[in-house]
Amino acid sequence: MNRLHKAKILAHAPIGKSYYRLVLRAREAAAAALPGQFVMLRVTENRDPLLARPLGISSIVSKTSIEIVYRVAGRGTMLLSQIEPGHSLDMLGPLGQGFPLPDKGVIPVLVAGGSGFPPLHFLSTRIGSHAHLFIGARNRECLPPAGILKSFRENVAKVHIATEDGSLGKKGMSTDLLRDYLDRAEKKDRTTVFACGPRPMLEVVSRLAAEHAVSCYVSVEERMACGVGACMGCSVPVKEGGYKRVCKEGPVFDAREIAWGLKVIVPVKNVRHQS
Amino acid sequence: MRIAECGMRNKKSEIQNPKSKIVHPNLSVDFAGIKLKNPVLTASGTFGYGEEYADFVDLNRLGGVIVKGISLKPIAGNPPPRIWETPSGMLNAIGLENPGVEVFLREKLPFLRQYDTAVIVNIFGCSVDDYLAVAERLDGAEGVSGIEVNISCPNVKAGGMAFGTDVKATFELLSTVRKATRLPLIAKLSPNVTDVTDFAKAARDAGCDGLSLINTLLGMAIDVRTGKPRLANCTGGLSGPAIRPVAVRMAWQVARAVSLPIIGMGGIVTAEDALEFILAGASAVAVGTANFMNPRAALDVLDGIEAFLAEYRPGVTGIEDIRGKVNIT
Repeated sequence: MNRLHKAKILAHAPIGKSYYRLVLRAREAAAAALPGQFVMLRVTENRDPLLARPLGISSIVSKTSIEIVYRVAGRGTMLLSQIEPGHSLDMLGPLGQGFPLPDKGVIPVLVAGGSGFPPLHFLSTRIGSHAHLFIGARNRECLPPAGILKSFRENVAKVHIATEDGSLGKKGMSTDLLRDYLDRAEKKDRTTVFACGPRPMLEVVSRLAAEHAVSCYVSVEERMACGVGACMGCSVPVKEGGYKRVCKEGPVFDAREIAWGLKVIVPVKNVRHQS
Repeated sequence: MRIAECGMRNKKSEIQNPKSKIVHPNLSVDFAGIKLKNPVLTASGTFGYGEEYADFVDLNRLGGVIVKGISLKPIAGNPPPRIWETPSGMLNAIGLENPGVEVFLREKLPFLRQYDTAVIVNIFGCSVDDYLAVAERLDGAEGVSGIEVNISCPNVKAGGMAFGTDVKATFELLSTVRKATRLPLIAKLSPNVTDVTDFAKAARDAGCDGLSLINTLLGMAIDVRTGKPRLANCTGGLSGPAIRPVAVRMAWQVARAVSLPIIGMGGIVTAEDALEFILAGASAVAVGTANFMNPRAALDVLDGIEAFLAEYRPGVTGIEDIRGKVNIT
């Protein structure tokens, strides 16, 4: 499959207070993409910024178009946000390994932190309506935009919300909600956690899942250059020794694979797939 | 003898483009005894082992692939973060992660052999013996066109640049590797030296057939909010368009100092970038970091060189007609 495209921008506008919604015409990606996969987008035709930006797919809009929801987190996404509908972007993808789709008897538990919700939104469109979703954000403005939240509510059995400042939902973190849920949950052997968010959150989610003997898949973030496995820039340490590439073997990993304890310098603005 | 055989032999092409009636330039190059169908290669460390990009581009169109550096034993590489984007460039400190020469020969090389493109294997080690063992193992391997010796990686303490920033160590290492292989031997030089021509001469005297330049420039970036380096390794190699003028200058200096053919590299994104290196004296070019921006970058460079020669340089039939022809009068 040729995965190098010129993707025309069909729609591009702010959505909520903190996010942008981008709809791209990408027939092959729309047909082939799996929840958890991402695309690389060039945000300029100039040489600065040099690298394409990895962005998770948040849904398949139609047979020919995909949706991306992102937060402006740096110069790359700022430039992207200024490109108007009608223009085309150089796009690679879909790339990477997505979430394994749960079997029918499984209760999916989705955990989203900060701007990590888009891949989980895509996942929520492909799993049964008995899923639970736990969303955490700094404040209500950083929660997924209303349209996405509405869609989540349609797709899953229950949406649980936490904000660090208590401006919406429970005061605290998504992992606090997850802990309460898992403490009370029955059928743990049939529960699978799917998480996407900042690395510290994923580490806690992985630990909670392990404590409750619940299987857990995490979508990991790391800065990328090529997105296709060539540069080895996005590698993360794994328990079996050595590293795995987030772009190729990931971004979704079985949480047990990741060597969480190893020292990693986490950037201050640790925002999923953006810079 | 090896040196005398170097250089390019281009013949006037007879192929006609029926639409434009423009004589297509003959782009084939004999580089240090390696037959390249065209002078555009992909630089080591930026194109994996070819397979990573096979879904995106036709590898058959490339002049050659210089594979990611191979060592005797597998190497895990550096902890993350390994990369940091900089103005028109990027820093990397991957740490020469690679599966080792045996896995390369067993699992990576057979894939590349399927394609009609030259395979040049970049090698490195932590000791002279390491380099020697890898070179010996590659000698005679089917589908290997040549060896590029990395004496210039800035990210590994034990190997790489430790050799490439000391003229005597460069000469001794390359002389030893020379004895281990009959394959065309290319030395990849470090820009992190005062006078790169000293190293080019050492490589020539050691019996190398060609030179690659430049490797990355040693750099550093700091997060001012945390006070920490952007890379876990603290320092890394700077690549991309930001370093191109340095690379062109070094290619020019070396081309004037030694007669070995040069693969020019460092920040090439477009055909015009590549032609700068050729006018400076390079016989071939390698596209590196631009592959990350655009998997088609090397093919775009190739198409652009062909178009340039056909359209803007009437009477020019091949690369050799413009190589080293920078006008400094």
